[in-house]
Amino acid sequence: MLNPQTSIWAPYRPSESAPWNLKRVVHLHRRAAFAAPWDVLQRDLVDGPRAAVDRLLKGDESPAFESMAQTIGEAAMVSGSPGRLKAWWVYRMLMSPDPLGERLTLMWHNHFATSNRKVQDLVLMREQNDLLRKQARAPFGELLTAVVKHPAMLAWLDADSNRKGHPNENLARELLELFTLGVGNYSETDVKGAARALTGWTIVGGRFAYREARHDIGEIDLFGTQGPLTGDGLLEQLLNHPGTSKRLAWRICQTFLGEDVVTRAALDELADGLAERELNIGWAVETVLRSRLFFSIENMRSRVLGPTEYVVGVLRALELREPPPSTLVLAEWASRMGQDLFYPPNVGGWNEGRAWLATRTVVARANFADALVSGRLWRPAREPEPDALVHRHSQLDKLAEHVNWLAKLLWGECPEEATAPIVKAARSAEAPLPKALALLLTRPEHSLA
Amino acid sequence: MLSRRRFLRTSSVVSLSPLLPSVFTKTAYAAGNESDAKTLVVIQLDGGNDGLNTVVPFGDDEYARARNKLRLPADKLHKLDDYVGLHPSMRAAKELFDDGRLSIVQGVGYPNPDRSHFRSMKIWQTASFENADHDGYGWLGRALDAKPKVSSPAVAPGAIYVGDQETPVALWGRRSQATALSREEDLRLLLNPAFHSEPSSAQDDSLNDFVSRQTLSAVAASEEFNRQQKQTAGSVSSYPNTGLGRRLRLISQVLKGKSQARVYYTAQSGYDTHQAQLYTHSRLLQEFSDAVKAFLDDIKSAKLDDRVVVLAFSEFGRRVKENNSLGTDHGTAGPVFLAGAPVAGGLLGTAPDLANLDDGDLRTQVDFRRIYSTLLSDWLDIDAASVLAGTHKKLPLLCRG
Repeated sequence: MLNPQTSIWAPYRPSESAPWNLKRVVHLHRRAAFAAPWDVLQRDLVDGPRAAVDRLLKGDESPAFESMAQTIGEAAMVSGSPGRLKAWWVYRMLMSPDPLGERLTLMWHNHFATSNRKVQDLVLMREQNDLLRKQARAPFGELLTAVVKHPAMLAWLDADSNRKGHPNENLARELLELFTLGVGNYSETDVKGAARALTGWTIVGGRFAYREARHDIGEIDLFGTQGPLTGDGLLEQLLNHPGTSKRLAWRICQTFLGEDVVTRAALDELADGLAERELNIGWAVETVLRSRLFFSIENMRSRVLGPTEYVVGVLRALELREPPPSTLVLAEWASRMGQDLFYPPNVGGWNEGRAWLATRTVVARANFADALVSGRLWRPAREPEPDALVHRHSQLDKLAEHVNWLAKLLWGECPEEATAPIVKAARSAEAPLPKALALLLTRPEHSLA
Repeated sequence: MLSRRRFLRTSSVVSLSPLLPSVFTKTAYAAGNESDAKTLVVIQLDGGNDGLNTVVPFGDDEYARARNKLRLPADKLHKLDDYVGLHPSMRAAKELFDDGRLSIVQGVGYPNPDRSHFRSMKIWQTASFENADHDGYGWLGRALDAKPKVSSPAVAPGAIYVGDQETPVALWGRRSQATALSREEDLRLLLNPAFHSEPSSAQDDSLNDFVSRQTLSAVAASEEFNRQQKQTAGSVSSYPNTGLGRRLRLISQVLKGKSQARVYYTAQSGYDTHQAQLYTHSRLLQEFSDAVKAFLDDIKSAKLDDRVVVLAFSEFGRRVKENNSLGTDHGTAGPVFLAGAPVAGGLLGTAPDLANLDDGDLRTQVDFRRIYSTLLSDWLDIDAASVLAGTHKKLPLLCRG
């Protein structure tokens, strides 16, 4: 185990200088679980960090939810419409009792970025997504093997046309560059060798198949050694390579930690821990979410919220799930904000961070806020009632108090410089609180989590 | 409770305009006499275009030998001279060529080519070979940061990216802003964001200030675009109904709306043709050349043609030898296109010599930075050496004057 005294990843313990307060509870949920409603925040505030993180790590189960998700998923398959597939996943993110599982699935979708633009098969795209979810906390070897042998990936990266004597390097290159080692840890010779090792992998009848006759049995150059090599042998070498644990540590930190929070030493320590535990993703996620670093002040509001997190989070926090908004419409908004689910821009995935905030996507965030408060996310349209939400949870009655309460729900605190002008601007609106809510959502405090 | 209709009417139009500091609007979108300035329209061909089947060296016997299945028959090509010809689907490009509105630079690449889509694209976009620079500033972002050689109103003129993806690193600058859009509605704000304070300084790099700046810039861009749209209402032109056609049409609308931007950037994806290449590639090249022709004709009829140069490039070419999947794998050098009335027209550089390869790949004849250097100094009037960190010999790409 990590040494709790010296480790950069030592667990967070509440203290006078770093108390377990609403701000930290909100921070945890916004980063790891698309945000949470007031009751959950209050419960975690009482129960403390250990129980709060425990619950997220474990996730909950709900047969009713699974059965509804299943129905929506199957209807999407029958419809043949990619929009319905996106809506299915957004439904899961919005309603799932295991939000961390969905957040990790989103992370893996970016890691193994596969686009239906080329795969052109909703069944395969959904299968891959289910696989990312099922293996989200597994040892990385299991996840990697399952994903690269899944026909969605094989089709996406042309594995089916890579055969002995006629290598197609697409899968090999992205496997090394993006899925495992990362740039700088391999040479062009290694790519060529990996492509030869992967010969024989193909798709037969919509499933992975190994065709021995197509496999190159010759001597293969890889990482300076020569010998025959199979695809499985290649994966094993990649999993044991220190580059892979480093890249995984980077991916997890990129997901849960903000800009300029993680040092080289922190990454290395997490990578070493992963290497010692057979790349156990669940361990790394737990280590990060429990850590002092995660709950440190510098890690708060230091990360640009991605479009899907932005869209799903606000609905979860505001208890706007019953009746659920149109998840077709939500997926479309995420796309306008720059994240078209199942259609990442390329195999490198979305850039994340500051890249999320271009002119068009900033406009989309503001227009989404407008659509939310005016009820256009629902079919038929249905205006949310923030006044009712505030009254359900508090005795407050002044507009300023209501706005501050919403800020606390959304951000864990209510900075005066952000809320005061909003109260002033909303006062003259015909529906002051919805107006104020929409304006809160356009603040930097809301795009940064 | 407020009625829904009443609420909708009020919620979307309540103006918070005093919250937008007017000084910022003026900085980003200054009203100057810049609308007649020269502009560059960049089209990025994503995925590594097979240059050998685009500008085809039919006169090289090795071509037929290397391309057994993917060989394009010489009699179907649009011949540019007695050695090379354009792909059969590029009739529109041939018309531009005959009209003197198309220059083709052959064998363009860079030393020690990288066959990773990402790294190679970053190299083209940043004009740097250092990985550390690849998430920094792009060549056009740096160009827009730089002061024009000829003095003009001191403004940061900005760039516009038209597409569905993130703004490419090519446009990232230290001060210059890139506006991104994929359709007209993308720039129409229904809710004016709640901005109450200016970022502490334009140089501040804090995340909070970054968000503030981006938001202010979005508001300004939205106002500017709405103004332009009012001016250009009613203008129609015939564009192919393709992705690139629609994007170039939007660029033309923005240009006709007297946009201040000097650089417009878009992309056409799909060139990653590892298998079953013939059909896909033919469709892509037709989309490309038809859209560019329609755009240039449109610009010409709007009498803006002396202001616009189009540059089209891909991150690399393909291997000379086809693979066994009726496709080609990642290679090296390829052709670069320049189009528009101001270009010199014709073929530049030497056609690839397929008998003289480097490990099965084309040898680079022209460093892409020579093209950038020429465009920067002779077209955008920007000191190329400072943008490209060094001097690169210029090419005769543009008409004199």
